[in-house]
Amino acid sequence: MNLMQAFKMAFKSIASKKMRSFLTMLGIIIGVASVVIMVSVVQGQNKKQMEYLEAMGDNKIQVYASRWYGSSGDISELLYEYCLGMQDLVVGVTPQIEVWQEITIKYGAKTFNTQNWDDWEKRVSLKLGSDQFGVCNNYTLGGGRELSFLDVDKTNRVCVLGGGAKKLLFDFVDPVGETIFINSQPFLVVGWYEPTGVEGMSDMDNVVLLPYTFNRTLNNNQDISQYVVKAKSAAATTMAIAKLKAFLGGFITNGENGNYDVYSNNDWSNQMQEQSLMQSLVLGAIAGISLLVGGIGIMNIMLVTVTERTREIGIRKAIGAERRSIIVQFLIEAAVICGIGGLIGIGLGCMGSLIAGKFLLQGMILWPSSVITIGAFTFSVALGVVFGLYPAIKASSLQPVEALRAE
Amino acid sequence: MLIDIKDLYKIYNEGQESEVRALDGVSLQIDRGEFVAIVGASGSGKSTMMNVLGCLDVPTRGEYVLNGTDVTSLKDRELARIRNREIGFIFQGYNLLQDLDALDNVILPLIYRGTSIFEREELAMAALARVGMDDRARHRPSQMSGGQQQRVAIARAIATHPPIIMADEPTGALDSKTGRHVLGILQQLYREGTTILLITHDDGIAATAPRVVRLSDGKIISDKHQEVDWL
Repeated sequence: MNLMQAFKMAFKSIASKKMRSFLTMLGIIIGVASVVIMVSVVQGQNKKQMEYLEAMGDNKIQVYASRWYGSSGDISELLYEYCLGMQDLVVGVTPQIEVWQEITIKYGAKTFNTQNWDDWEKRVSLKLGSDQFGVCNNYTLGGGRELSFLDVDKTNRVCVLGGGAKKLLFDFVDPVGETIFINSQPFLVVGWYEPTGVEGMSDMDNVVLLPYTFNRTLNNNQDISQYVVKAKSAAATTMAIAKLKAFLGGFITNGENGNYDVYSNNDWSNQMQEQSLMQSLVLGAIAGISLLVGGIGIMNIMLVTVTERTREIGIRKAIGAERRSIIVQFLIEAAVICGIGGLIGIGLGCMGSLIAGKFLLQGMILWPSSVITIGAFTFSVALGVVFGLYPAIKASSLQPVEALRAE
Repeated sequence: MLIDIKDLYKIYNEGQESEVRALDGVSLQIDRGEFVAIVGASGSGKSTMMNVLGCLDVPTRGEYVLNGTDVTSLKDRELARIRNREIGFIFQGYNLLQDLDALDNVILPLIYRGTSIFEREELAMAALARVGMDDRARHRPSQMSGGQQQRVAIARAIATHPPIIMADEPTGALDSKTGRHVLGILQQLYREGTTILLITHDDGIAATAPRVVRLSDGKIISDKHQEVDWL
């Protein structure tokens, strides 16, 4: 009996027992699909986090410092001076303030509001920074210019728009040289940033940046308590953090006369990577269990199937089948069933990944990794073949008369 | 000499209290072209006899020479070849594969024989035509009566033109009219030169065989030739 014939016989046998074949496949379909979906969701999430971190830029140090009322003196000027003094370690320094008061931003007939929490996509935030705001936050200038030292020094009525704010206010018109109204005060647009391109992160793009010297008028005269320092390298980041902590420690004892904190995205990114590794492990374990359960299902139905076909094996032997022909037939049958099931599982897994990406990860297009897909597929097929083959080998080594006696 | 057995034993649970001697030192010779009925009550060892003669089972000890070959020393592969080419089996319960139609059932031994794909269907159809079942080639066993199924089983047994046909109670599950029809097919095969071994418990059927071997408790108690009306 040649291989072609064996394949034909296997397909005939599968087609003649559709229900049983489908049940066998079901375990594989569920196992493979669940592994594929889980892994692609985890990978998608990691990718999203990495994109976000990349857009924010690395070697970025966040400094927070505030002294309670009654403590003597304002340290924000001193801190800013100190940061500016670390030229050997630092690329740029900027105060980083978000204005939390309700403020309207208007151009022509279009009005946006900083407190529009109902519609994140249409909320525009007002931020205050220095001429180095763009460098520190990893923005790329799309047109016009950054804020200048003079703008800050003279408190000029100028602003720079984030990519999202530019789109909302001006659509595709070049905004440079136009005037927008912030709480009815005219501001000249001098430049705009490219969108950061991170989906679902409208708060990084829907931004209007003003010189930080507007803090007194727009922010209820509060002290500037947050700075962003962009360091030259990972090593410089570590050193700058140590220096800043020492500097701030000289003025503030945490919890007694104020609070301060200095941390970098590098720490955060490490933490996130650790976290996503944990997630991968946990979800991977769950997916592995479902694959195992699917595998046990395959095993059971294969054992039952071949046992119930012992008589068939006896008949085939009585009319002249060699052991080898019978083993080859069952091997091919198991491989074909499991293979088809595995392919359906991969198909469902890909569809499931796309759906999960759409609803869980803000429309991200998820595509499962080929290594995991092939791995899950191979595992299920191997399982089906092994457990389909073992009873077949056992049954085929019986004397024909014993196999014929089976009911 | 086609079949030559000497001192053949088939013993289950040998040496234990539950020891059963299904064949207890049987010797028998059958020539090419004979029609032999092996008769005995239930438990006399006649089915075991057919299983051993048909290479479906191995004897505990003894000699079995089939067509000049010592069968007891053969391996699975060669036994499969004998079952495929030398012997055609007909069982009481037909033993057709339920998921295949009549034609595919008859084609099966031709596949194991290695017959070319172009000849198989023709040979199988010819075998079905011989038993008058060619018009039901595409019916499944569940769509056929017992007599029809047994005729398909006979077609399967003769598809490879084996020199020996072994039939174990072929009429046991059939009414007397279809039973006579099935016997008629066997008698026709005999006239064409096929050696027939017919296992039965029914003396009426045994009376139609030119030679009757009677078994009791695993031993041959008589071996007679007789005149039959159909020759």
